[in-house]
Amino acid sequence: MPPLHLLKRVCRLLLTAFRLKSGMRYFVSFLLLFNALSVKAISLTDNLDVSGFARVIGGYMDGAESQDFGGYENSISLGQESLLAIQPTYSLTDSLSITGQLLAHSSENRDSGAEWMYLSYRPDSAWHFRAGKLRMPFFSYSDSLDVGYSYPWISAPNQVYRNYLFSTFKGASGSYNYTGLNYSLNLEAYYGYYDGDILIAGKRVDVDGKLTDLTGVVLNLSSHNFGLRLSYHYAYNESIIYSLLSLQQALEQAGFSDSARSVDSKGDVNFFEAALTYDTLSSFYKAEWVHTTTEFQAAPELTGYYFTAGYIIGDWTLRATYAASAYSETHAEDEVQAFLDSGIIPPGSPQYAQLSELADGYYQLFQSLPDGSLDTYTLGARWDFDLNMALKLDVSYLEETAPRSGFFATPSTGFYTEENVSDRYSATLYQLGWEWIF
Amino acid sequence: MKRLIIYISLALFPTMPVLALAEENLVVVANTGGQELTLTREQVRNLFMGASLGYDFRPLALPPRNRTRSLFNTQVIGLTEARIQSYWSQMKFTGRMNPPREFNNKDELLSFIESHEGTVTYLPADVVIPSGLTIVYSTD
Repeated sequence: MPPLHLLKRVCRLLLTAFRLKSGMRYFVSFLLLFNALSVKAISLTDNLDVSGFARVIGGYMDGAESQDFGGYENSISLGQESLLAIQPTYSLTDSLSITGQLLAHSSENRDSGAEWMYLSYRPDSAWHFRAGKLRMPFFSYSDSLDVGYSYPWISAPNQVYRNYLFSTFKGASGSYNYTGLNYSLNLEAYYGYYDGDILIAGKRVDVDGKLTDLTGVVLNLSSHNFGLRLSYHYAYNESIIYSLLSLQQALEQAGFSDSARSVDSKGDVNFFEAALTYDTLSSFYKAEWVHTTTEFQAAPELTGYYFTAGYIIGDWTLRATYAASAYSETHAEDEVQAFLDSGIIPPGSPQYAQLSELADGYYQLFQSLPDGSLDTYTLGARWDFDLNMALKLDVSYLEETAPRSGFFATPSTGFYTEENVSDRYSATLYQLGWEWIF
Repeated sequence: MKRLIIYISLALFPTMPVLALAEENLVVVANTGGQELTLTREQVRNLFMGASLGYDFRPLALPPRNRTRSLFNTQVIGLTEARIQSYWSQMKFTGRMNPPREFNNKDELLSFIESHEGTVTYLPADVVIPSGLTIVYSTD
């Protein structure tokens, strides 16, 4: 059987295994993983190279009853972050290749299928161009979030990594790298668009996601033990939020155009990021800060950051992380209330009742936005017990410092309901993970 | 008692011998086609972490758990093997770069490098370097 055919069959089998319902899914996946354990990255022919990665993550949350955090609840769950991926690369010439990354994901919020699919052109050792379906290089670990082996935690800090709304794009990117006597730099730029599901705090929401003019630049600078990453990303958001559509239309028809505009998500979105690392043979330190601004009045600004420090003893890494996030305040337009107060329409009239109902809906929406903040303290250990395999254990204390942080379960609309609008949750999350690359 | 302490520390710190590796020296050799060239430690580090030096240099490596590789990790890269593997997993699965090609031992490595201009590798300082190769860096 030709290698490509064989590969397609294996991938299809894996995807099917992950689509099976209930415990059966894990059983089959485990069997497949176990089978594959003896396999290392393989070259099926001179031109075809296949590698991949897998992770099995179990978690349990204690506290914040009836809520969930990134899918974790107060029962043991294996289905939130476990996954398996296969990456075939086919070299057409020395400088031209095609790469795909086929992912089978256990979470119902993530689709299984081709996560990456691109043509790569490397004219020399300094330049690299790619075109196709790529992952968004928002922040330090955004495009390798599925590769748990590549970072210290089980879940990269939620305040930075769970807030972004989409993870892939279609387009092209180019990068240039250069090394001086005492430093090296890499500059990457991309352009593209996104059309698909939108995730809020890792959950699929009822939004028809569309972002155009996606543009970004990423600078990576390293010198001796220091590393610096600075990036800026821009998109024009054309997404339709169905739950807001009727409200927006009603406001428009009643002549309150400013209010209607305030619930329209269309407009510019900007992402800023800065990260600093310091690495030694026995320790590492990393801080990352991200800031998002939008023209959407109901979701104006979001800031997230974390600090982490790790200490390495033999095959063990011990680490402590603090992460925090905060939304800016949201402001509703006051024209509807002002109009009601003006007395132009006599109170008690049917018109007045209709209008105050509209006002209630509008002001209630602004009361139910995720505009709170969350602090997380994580202690963790990683044991690199074999080459390309690691076990991790993380214990995180999660504490909302203001209600509606946006991280504990939000309904599919992305907005809070009357029942949980003023609750402030805290919980402890226990996670155990196995990471593998091949 | 002394033996017990040794056992416990071996169990706790299986890579402890890494510390002893700091005593031995390494050289980085390149097939430059006869051209003289010296690199800084930072340049060597960056080259083996995938950066471009502006020349079309191709780094070659020894496999993990090889003693010379461990020396190179400690003295030049400044990261443990597991962290280097983590780095390459990120580079590889985000489609940016692939790790240097690996050879089973220094003899295979030397015979490949001798016949391929532009290749670079590290070797123990006491290895006799064939005349066609240039020492571009030494930890001495």
